[in-house]
Order: sequence, then structure tokens, then C-alpha cells
Amino acid sequence: MFHVAGSGERAILSSAKTSAAALVFSLAIAMAGADPSAVAQTATSQTPTQQTPTQQAPTQTAKPAAVQPAAPPRDATPAQVLDDKDVETVLGREIYSIAGEDMGRIVDILVDHKGNVRAAIIDFGGFLGVGSRKIAVDWRAIQFNPDRAILSLTRDQVRVAPEYKDGEPIVVLGPESPPAAKPPHTQQTQQNAKPAATAPTK
Amino acid sequence: MLFMETKTNAPRPSRRSLAGLDWFIFFLADVQTGFGPFVAVYLTAARWTQQDIGFILSVTGLVSLIGRMPGGALVDAARSERNAAAIAVVCIGLSALTFAALPAFAPVLLASVLSSGANCVLAPAIGAISLGLVGHAMIGPRLGRNARFASLGTGFAAAGMGITGYFFSSRSVFIVTALLLVPTLIALSQIRATEVDPVRAHAGVASPDPPDHGLLRLALNPPLLAFAACNALFQLANAAMLPLMGSIMTMRSANWATVLIAACIIVPQLVVAALSPWVGRQADRWGRRPLLLLGFGALPLRCLLFAYTPDPTLVVFFQILDGISAAALGVLVPLVIADIARDTGRFNLAQGAVGTAVGVGASISTSFAGYVSDHSGSQTAFLDLAAVATFGFLFVLVAMPETRPRQSTGSESA
Repeated sequence: MFHVAGSGERAILSSAKTSAAALVFSLAIAMAGADPSAVAQTATSQTPTQQTPTQQAPTQTAKPAAVQPAAPPRDATPAQVLDDKDVETVLGREIYSIAGEDMGRIVDILVDHKGNVRAAIIDFGGFLGVGSRKIAVDWRAIQFNPDRAILSLTRDQVRVAPEYKDGEPIVVLGPESPPAAKPPHTQQTQQNAKPAATAPTK
Repeated sequence: MLFMETKTNAPRPSRRSLAGLDWFIFFLADVQTGFGPFVAVYLTAARWTQQDIGFILSVTGLVSLIGRMPGGALVDAARSERNAAAIAVVCIGLSALTFAALPAFAPVLLASVLSSGANCVLAPAIGAISLGLVGHAMIGPRLGRNARFASLGTGFAAAGMGITGYFFSSRSVFIVTALLLVPTLIALSQIRATEVDPVRAHAGVASPDPPDHGLLRLALNPPLLAFAACNALFQLANAAMLPLMGSIMTMRSANWATVLIAACIIVPQLVVAALSPWVGRQADRWGRRPLLLLGFGALPLRCLLFAYTPDPTLVVFFQILDGISAAALGVLVPLVIADIARDTGRFNLAQGAVGTAVGVGASISTSFAGYVSDHSGSQTAFLDLAAVATFGFLFVLVAMPETRPRQSTGSESA
């Protein structure tokens, strides 16, 4: 759905600054049918200003559709193209331990108020949906390899963790770093993140 | 009165019809298992958010709650139970295909509503076809057989789905489910329509000249109300047991939990398959009450065992009690309803009413037990469930009359 503007296209795009008028014009063609003079008139009457393109219009009547693709939003939205081999969706992703054990699937992501990803919720264990537990694990404990996502925790560590529930303090199973490892008391969203770059209030 | 179903024109269903019903129930149970808790697993794998999954599950639960009585009434009104069942089965098959092919919000929502609505028709339709085929005199053993094939189907499907989901994908489970539509319909077509007597299937002639006389009589029928309440209490105690225990198993044992939970699902099905024909026969000999008490009595015992078990492995054995309860209730719920609704012509509506009570109990159960378990620990939760179960048992003891028709005169009307 992104509009990706390559250099060639951009040229077309800017030359078609008049794109709104061009669109009206092509619609008019579509409505007016085969009579080119009527079309020209309608078009000029609706766009009274500097519409030189309309003069050539009658010659183009055969392929009015060609005008339409050049009518995206006026100023191009910044966008970039990512190779789908470099990025991937995480929701529903199967996740494994280092030893290759099945650790369930990622079902949700928790971010703090700055938008930093803090934890992933994994749906762990069970059979056919019976007896599975939702556990929050630190985002830094997950490594996304091209073929599989790997969690640097063992099944034995994950299974005993308190279950993740909406509206309750969240216990995030962490990598070894202390701040995230034992937060059963409070949820501390603020303090430990990455003060290096932004260095907030203190 | 004057509903003459005497020995002279006792129904003589063909073997083919009876075998058709057996296998219809078997395959249908397979199909229905696919729409259980597994839906959440599948949608998770299809990158759904938990909120959307929760919404779909709530809608499904709501439809199957409010749909039971209209579903029953529909079957009572239907001229052919067989066709009603066939349409419902096709709806479920289409839903399964939709799940497999288009796991997007709108199609899945539609498919969930469709399949749970179809289930509301199917549950009473199976009872109705059974009663229509064999009549009141032989319904006990027949329901025993129904329960056997249903639990074989469920056990088979759970095992099969576990294997399919493990080796292939969770999507393939729904494709297999949709394919099972074919043998289900073939089995259904083996039941000869002419042998399913619609009058028998509705337990008498519906609504004679004073309209809905039977309906009123049924609605105010004390045994039916008591029975619905008993079943609501049973499910209130029962429905949360396995999910709660499953979660504990996952917590206690890392590597065996999945196998243990699978065993906990399959063991009761095997027990039901083994026991229920016997229950169906004994219900005619001993009467309904002793077996009801057996089924309701096994539940508090199981709750207590769950609360005090030292080792989750033992839970697999305790699930034998679940099988005993399920065998007793699986046969006796439709049987007692058939007893009570006799000659009202509203057998299926009555089934829907009790089904609603069951659904209410089951849906409260999980949230209730989850809440207690979060705040006071799982042992307290199991003890609370045991208290509810004991209350249900006492309720049966005090409030449920024996509903077996007097045997000596065979099948006479009240």
C-alpha cells in the first residue's frame, strides 16, 4: 500500500502538478463518451487557468486511463522499501529455546511510553489450546534469526513464571541484566530503559 | 395423552439407519472438536491479536448460549430432522473452510457465528433423530451408544488434531475438519428418513388446539427446572477444572505437560466410550436417579483430588472420574429430558433449555475459577469448585424425582 516514488516517477509526478485537473479531465472523457470537442470544452470550463495540457487532450482520448496512474497525492509521502527478507512480522511467530525446544508463540508486544519495545508475551505450553500460559519475556532475550526466533531462556525458567494478565503488575522474565530480571513489586516502565541517548529528567 | 406408542407398532429401525446414526455422531464429534479451544491456537498462528481472538470467542459463546432454545424450537418445528442436521453440518463445514482459507476478521466472525448456530441445531437434532428412530421404549440404550460414538469421535479427533497440528500446520486442522464433512454427510444419508418418525422425534404431538399448551406445561415443569439447575451447577464446577489443571501442569512440568494434558483430554473419552452403553442399559433397570447421583457424585471427589494432588501425573488417573461423570451425564441428560418432555411435543425445546443452563454454568465457571485462583491460589479454587459440585450433588438428591416411566405397563402416557 505504500506509494513508492522512484526517481522517474517523481519526475512525472511533479510535471503533473496539475494532476487534479487532469483527473477531472479524464473523468469528463469517461462521462462524455466519444465526442472529443465536448470533452475539451468541459475540461477547459472546469479548469479555467493555465491548462495547456488540455489543448492536446483530444488526441489522447483513446487512452484516458493512462492519465490516472499519475494522480497520487500531491507531495510524496516519505517512504522506504524494505526487503521482506530483512524484516518480519512477530505476531504469531513460533519461538524456540537455544536448545531448540518449542517455547510457544509470540502473541503480543509491550512497549513503554517512548515506544521502546520492552517485552514480548509468549503463549507457552498446553495441548490444543488447553493449559497454555501467557508469559512476558524481555525483548532483549529474543534473538531473531533468519530461520527462527530464539529465546535465551529455558522451558524450566519460563514455565514457573507468573502469568501475564491485563491490569496487573507484569513480571518480565529478563536476560541476565538486573533491572528487568526481578520486577515483581512494581512495573517500572521508566527507569531502566536506555537513558544513554536521551537522558530524560534527571 | 392418547399418544399411542404401543408394542404393536413399536418402531423397528433398520440396521443401516442405526449404523448411520452411529457414524454420523462419530464424525460430527470430529468436526466439532476442531472448533474448541483450538480456534485460539489457530488464530494466534494466523497473526491475530489477543483482543480479536477474545472477541471471537465471546461472540461464539454468546451465540451458543442464546441459540440453544431457538435451535431446539427449530428442530421441533422441522418436518425432517435429517435435513435440518444436514444443513447444519454443511454450515459447519463451510465455517471450517472459511477458517482455513480466509483467516481475516469478518469471514472468521461470520464463520464462528454460523458454526455455533449450527451446533445449537445439531445437539437437539441428534437427540430427536435418536428418539424418532427408536422411540421412548428403547431410547436409553440408544443414548448410551450415542455417547460412546461421540466420545470416540472426540478422542480420535483430539489425537488426530494434535498429530496434524504438530507435523503439519494449524491450518491443516481446519482443512481436515472441512474434509470430514464428507463422511459425516454420507453417514447421515444412511439414516432412512422414513424411519425417523417426526412425532416420536418431538416426543409427542406439538401444540394442539390451545396453542403452546405444551410449551407452558414444559416451562413450568418443576422437574425440568430442577434438572436445568442441577446441570448448571455441574458445569459451574466442572468446566474450569481441566483448563485450570492444564495451566498448573504447564507450570509444574516442563517437558511432560503437553503429553499429560493430551492424556487428560483423551482418558475421559475412552472411559465414556467404555461405560456409556452400560449406563444406557442400567438407566432402564435401576432408574435414572442412581446413575445421576453417580455422575454428580464423581465430580466433588475429583475436585478434592485435584486440590490435594501431590503430583500432576496422578491427575491423568483422576480423569477417569471425569469419564464416569461424562458417561452418566452424556446418557442421562437427554434421557431425563426425554422422560420429562414426553407427550409435550417439545423434546427439543426442552433440550435447548437445559443446554442453555449448561452453557451459563460453563461460561461463568472459567472466570470464577480464574478469579479465585489468581487471588487465593489454585487449591482454593479447586476447593470452591468442590463446594459447588457438592451442592449440585445434594440438589440432585433433594430436588430430582425419578423420571423413569413405570416399566410394567411399558410406554404409557402420563
